[in-house]
Amino acid sequence: MRALRHAGLLPSLGMLIVVFAINVALQPHLLTRGSLSSNIATFAPTILVSAAQAIIVLSGELDLSVGTGVSMLNCALATLPELVGWGLWPTLGATFAIAVMAGATNGVLVAYVRLPSLIVTFATSAIWFGIALFFRPQPGGSVDQVFGDFYAGSVWGVPIALILVLVALGLWSVLQRYPLGRQLLAVGGNPVAAFHAGIDVRWVKFCGYCIAWCFVYLGSLAISAQTLSGDSRLGLPYTLTSVAAVVIGGISLAGGRGSVWGAAFGAIALGLVANVIYFAGIPSIYQEFFKGIVICIALSFTFIVGRRKAA
Amino acid sequence: MSILTARGVVKRFGGVVALNGAEISLSAGRVGGLLGANGAGKSVLSAILAGEITPDEGEMSFDGRPISHPSPRAARDHGIVIAHQHASLVPDLPVWENLFLGAERRGWLGLIDREGSRTAAAETLARLSPDFDIDRLAGELSSAEQQLVEIARALLRKPRVLILDEPTASLAHAEVDRLFQEIRKLAAEGAATVFISHRLPEVQEICDDVVVLRNGQTVGSWSIGDKLDHDRLLSLMTGEAEVAAHQRLVRDIGPVVLETTGLAVTPRHEGATLTLRRGEIVGLAGLQGQGQEEILEALAGGRRIAAGRVRVEGGEVRPRRPSDMIRHGVCLVPGDRHRQGLFIGQSIEENLDYPSACVRRRPWILPFAEIRRRALEIIGRLGIKTSGPTQEVAALSGGNQQKVVIGKWLPLATKVLLLSDPAKGVDVHAKGEIYAAVEGLAADGAGVLLYASDFQELLSMCDRVLVVYDGRIVGEFAGETMTEFNLLAASFGRAA
Repeated sequence: MRALRHAGLLPSLGMLIVVFAINVALQPHLLTRGSLSSNIATFAPTILVSAAQAIIVLSGELDLSVGTGVSMLNCALATLPELVGWGLWPTLGATFAIAVMAGATNGVLVAYVRLPSLIVTFATSAIWFGIALFFRPQPGGSVDQVFGDFYAGSVWGVPIALILVLVALGLWSVLQRYPLGRQLLAVGGNPVAAFHAGIDVRWVKFCGYCIAWCFVYLGSLAISAQTLSGDSRLGLPYTLTSVAAVVIGGISLAGGRGSVWGAAFGAIALGLVANVIYFAGIPSIYQEFFKGIVICIALSFTFIVGRRKAA
Repeated sequence: MSILTARGVVKRFGGVVALNGAEISLSAGRVGGLLGANGAGKSVLSAILAGEITPDEGEMSFDGRPISHPSPRAARDHGIVIAHQHASLVPDLPVWENLFLGAERRGWLGLIDREGSRTAAAETLARLSPDFDIDRLAGELSSAEQQLVEIARALLRKPRVLILDEPTASLAHAEVDRLFQEIRKLAAEGAATVFISHRLPEVQEICDDVVVLRNGQTVGSWSIGDKLDHDRLLSLMTGEAEVAAHQRLVRDIGPVVLETTGLAVTPRHEGATLTLRRGEIVGLAGLQGQGQEEILEALAGGRRIAAGRVRVEGGEVRPRRPSDMIRHGVCLVPGDRHRQGLFIGQSIEENLDYPSACVRRRPWILPFAEIRRRALEIIGRLGIKTSGPTQEVAALSGGNQQKVVIGKWLPLATKVLLLSDPAKGVDVHAKGEIYAAVEGLAADGAGVLLYASDFQELLSMCDRVLVVYDGRIVGEFAGETMTEFNLLAASFGRAA
C-alpha cells in the first residue's frame, strides 16, 4: 500500500475500478474471454505510447511528437516492403532503427542543445509527419498478414497483446532496479541535486528519450498489426491521449514523481470511457462531447480524493 | 602533510567579485574551520574545492600534484565530497536511495544492490541519529533530517577531504556531538575536513586550524592551539572600519508607527518584538537566514504569521495579503528583485504603476496621464537613467532596476517602508541615490525598517540597529554602542 501511494497510483486505480464497474454494468459481455482479449488488443497501442510519454515526463520533459512518430513508424511498416522489397523481419528492424533515431534526435535537441522540450518536440512532430507523408501520401500499403494473425493470437490462452504490454512494462520495472532507471527519476525530480550527486544529467535525459521511443515503436507495431495498412494520420490522437493518461496515472508533469504503471492504468481508463460512451447508446455525434464530460468528472473525483488523502 | 591546497583563487559572477585571492590548505588528519562574515565567500570557495564551480583564476593541488576538476564527479573520484548547507536531495526518492544517488552499489547482473545499500544507509545514519527511517521520502523530512541525510551521504563516500558547509545550523545538541565523533574518527583515519560554522564554541571544539575570509580574500590562517582568540577572529572578519562619511539628514523622530509583539512565522520561534517610530530608520542585522527577511515579508502580508501581534499607529492589524498592508501604508521592497520585484519585460511606467491599483478609487480604469506624470516624477526623484518612462526595465542596469522597485513604493509607503537588502549587487553610486531616497521618505515622516547583509550599510544609515538571531531580537544598539564589532558579536549569539 505504501509503495502504491508513493507511486501516486491510488487515484488512477480508483478511477480504473469505477469506470470498469460502469462498463461491466452496461456491457455484461465484457467479462468474457473474447471480449477482454479484443479490448486489450485495442488498448495496447495507447498503453505503450502512454508508457513512453510517462518515461519522458518522469525525466522532467515532454514529447509532443509521439503521435506523428506512431504515424511515421506505421507508414514505414506498411511501405518499406513495396518500396525496397523487404520481407517482414528486415522491415521490423529498419522501423526499429527509425524509432531509435527519432528518440535520439529529440534527446539530443532537448538534453544537449537544451531546447525547451515542449517547443522542439512540437517541431519534430511536424518532421515525423512529413516523413510519414513521404512514405504514404495516401492511406494504403500493407503489413504482412502473418504479423496481424500473430498479434491477434494467444499463447497458452494468454493474448499476445497482453503479453506484449506486460513484457514492456516489466522491462521498465527491471530498469528501475538499475542506476539509470533511478537516475531518470532523480533528474526529473531535482536536476540540481542530481548534478551535485555526480549524475550526468544530459546523458540520463537523452537515454530517457531513447528508451521511451522503444515503447513508441512497440505501440506502432500494435496498432499496425490491427490496421494492416499505412496511414499518416493514424497516430495523431496519441499525443494528447498519452499526456492525459500520464496525468490520470498520477505522474507529476513537473517530473520525478509517479510510475509508468500509472500511465498504463490511465490509458486503460481512457479506453474504457470510450467503451462506456459507446455502450450507453449515445449517438455518435455526441460521443466526443460526453467523453470529455466523463473524463472531467472522473478526474475531479479522483484528484479531490487524492488531495484529501495527502492532507 | 597537506592533501588539498588552493591558492590565489578568483571567481567573479557577472560584475560581482565573489573570491579575490582566497587560499586554503588542508592537512591530513586535521579539521580546518573556514570563517567569515556574510558574503565573505565561504560557500563559493567550498563549492570550488568540491568541483561544483570552476574558478576564473588560481591553482589547486591534490597530494602535491596540480589538479583542476571540472565536475562534482571528478572531485569525488579524488575523494573530495561536500555536504551542503541546504541539502540537495531528490524529494521523490526515499532516503536510502538519495544516499547512494550517482554512486549506486551494484550487485548481481549490475542490478542495484538494494539490501546492501539499505543496510549501509541505515548503519551510517544511525551513527548520526538513532531510529532514522530510511524508507521515508526525502521531501517529507524536516530541514534538520535533510541535513543529516546530506551529511550521511558525504560520510558514505569514504572521503579523503570532507567539506561541511554549516552542517550544524539546524541540528540538535546530541546530533552535533555525534557528528563531531564521526569527524574525529575520519581525522584519525587521515582525512582532512573543512568545517564552516557561525558558532564559535563549535569551531573551538572541533577545529585544529582556522582560515578567515573577508571580501573573498584569505586574511588569516593559524592553528587554534588551546584557546581560539575571539577578538583576533572578529577583527579579522570585519577588517578596519572604513565607514564612508555619510551626511545624515536631520529627521524628526515622531510617534510610534509600527509595533510588533512576538511576531513569528513558524510556531516554534519565540518571535520578534520591536517598535518603529515615524521618521526613524531602524536596521535589522544578523547572520544570513536568521529570519530577518521573514519578519519583513510577514509585516508586508506576504507570509503567514504563526504567532504574535502587529499594530500600525496603535491599531491592531492582521497582515493577510499584501494589498491589505499597502492600504495601511506599509510596503515592502523585496530582496530578490528579479523574482519578486519586477515585470522585467514591461516598461518603467507600468512597473511603477502596478501597486497603485490597490489604493485607487476606480481600479478598473487606468488614468494614463496621471501614470505618466507620476512616473516622470519618480524617475526624476531617484535619478533613474533611462530614455523615458516607456523604456523596458530589462534594458536598465541593475542599480536602475532596483530604483524602479523602490520607486513604485515611494507614493504608497506613507507609514512604513520595509527594505530587504535593497543595495545587494548595486554599484556604489546607485546605492547612494537609493539610500538618499529612503532617507527622504523617512524625513517626510515614514518609519523605515531596513535589513541589509552588509553591516556597514546599516551603521551609516540607521538610528538604531536590532540584531536578529533565530527569529528573535537579541540585541539593540544605538549611538556609541553601534559598532560593527558589537553587531557581529551579537550576531554570533555572544554578548559584547
